[in-house]
Amino acid sequence: MNIYLPIAEISVNVFLLLGMGGAVGFLSGLFGVGGGFLMTPLLIFIGVTPAVAVATEANQIVASSVSGVLAHWRRGNVDFRMGFVLLVGGTLGSIFGVWLFTFLRGLGQLDLVISLGFLVLLGFVGVLMLQESARALLKRRQGVVVRERQANQHNWIHGLPWRVRFKKSRLYISVLPVLLIGLFIGFVGSLLGIGGGFIMVPALVYLLRVPGSVVIGTSLAQVVAMMAATTVLHAVQSQSVDILLAFCLMVGGVAGAQFGAAAGMHLRGEQLRGLLALLVLAVAIRFGLSLVLTPDDVFSMAVTSVAP
Amino acid sequence: MIRFALAVFAIVCMVLPAGAERLFSSVSTETVQITSSFDGERLTFFGTIAPDAGAEQKFVEGPFHVVVVVVGPTQDRVARKKTNNFGVWLNTEQVEFKGFPSYFHVLASTRLRDITDVNTLTTNYILPESHAISPNPAGWWQTLNFGHELIRLMSEQDLFGVQENGVLFHSESFYSAQLTLPSNAPPGPYIAQTYVFKDGEIVARKSDGFAVRKIDFERFVAFSATQYPLLYGLACVALALFTGWLGGVLFRR
Repeated sequence: MNIYLPIAEISVNVFLLLGMGGAVGFLSGLFGVGGGFLMTPLLIFIGVTPAVAVATEANQIVASSVSGVLAHWRRGNVDFRMGFVLLVGGTLGSIFGVWLFTFLRGLGQLDLVISLGFLVLLGFVGVLMLQESARALLKRRQGVVVRERQANQHNWIHGLPWRVRFKKSRLYISVLPVLLIGLFIGFVGSLLGIGGGFIMVPALVYLLRVPGSVVIGTSLAQVVAMMAATTVLHAVQSQSVDILLAFCLMVGGVAGAQFGAAAGMHLRGEQLRGLLALLVLAVAIRFGLSLVLTPDDVFSMAVTSVAP
Repeated sequence: MIRFALAVFAIVCMVLPAGAERLFSSVSTETVQITSSFDGERLTFFGTIAPDAGAEQKFVEGPFHVVVVVVGPTQDRVARKKTNNFGVWLNTEQVEFKGFPSYFHVLASTRLRDITDVNTLTTNYILPESHAISPNPAGWWQTLNFGHELIRLMSEQDLFGVQENGVLFHSESFYSAQLTLPSNAPPGPYIAQTYVFKDGEIVARKSDGFAVRKIDFERFVAFSATQYPLLYGLACVALALFTGWLGGVLFRR
């Protein structure tokens, strides 16, 4: 059963969309990430233009993250003050990201930047995560008790000025690094069509020492707000959000995420992180190959503007 | 005034040459409606060749050839070429084609080169390549090269094409032609330009318009997205929040 997408202007099988939403939703539920880094490339692969894919994916991430936020909120695991500061930085980053997105699209280098961005970002994060989880797995095998949080270790970040108290996170730190993390994630998120949860969580844990109990809820809350803002910015700036495409993906994604979350109960934290690292690396390698392998077709085309 | 009348006369002479055949033609569908289940649509172009109103003869004498050129709304399109730079493939060269047809299909009753000469085909924009040789700041060689590749890419998506057995004659003067408009055909005004050839000369021509239009929900969505982008964006966010919340409620155990 094909469905015509009004903004993407292509006809796609609705079960393919639901299936893609479900599969990515399953993985995102399993690993606790938004899944944008999987969905955006998939959408481009099935023939959606990068512009529509990135903008629509931002909208879908809102849906896939919101039920998680509500669950964490009920348990009181969201640090709203930190979420707000991240959001302020994120909105600034997002405005710049959407602007650069439109600029690069006009220049014809959007594909390159998306590929390079995914390669560098996912490659870097994937290697770090793999290292960390491998070390944790080894330690567990050797019978060493792994400490989840190194509470009293400080680094140079904790010495910066303009300190603010984040009560939920039990932190008294400068707002600058929080703003910067938000800024960076808002920027790459709007440029690459990802929520950035998989960068945000390690950044909050390792750089700011946010306790594990509030880090997921806070990160998800920030992603929801951030992606909602990005959706509106894309809708206004490039008019490339396809509400029907987003809805099909949401329905599949929300359902898939529940099964993923249930499956995640059977795996240990470092096993999950290791698997996620492999997945992230696989996507990074796929983008890396697309840059260096001889393309099937060296020519490509794009519509630059619709004549009145 | 006399000069104007002469000009009009000259144009009329060009459009209706001495042979005095006349073409009556039509399209099966005036509006192709894009609904949510739109998966392409089959169109039929048909017509008959008759003596012109003021002509002396009562019958038309063939053999005739008919070429139907279906042109979609124009867009600015760019063709890009990747080259290998220090091991990385980058888009380095590009040529922009202003006012390039978003859809272009030619249906003919036989091979185009048996109907008339290349010059006539090109000057009347019957050959796809004729759209790629218009003056362009990129220089004629680049334009020709990239234009050729652009037409190939468009053909791969079924947006460009030539069907040299696309027009069927049911009698000496009555023909029909079928065209399947693909689901990726861009919305907008379309023109079907029909040419009647006799001995390699155009003896009659007529254009019929039809429209490809989003209707109902598709139209509403596309209209909202372009006319009220802020409200549309907010609606998208509201939908996402609601869907996510509903999913959480439904699946909570």
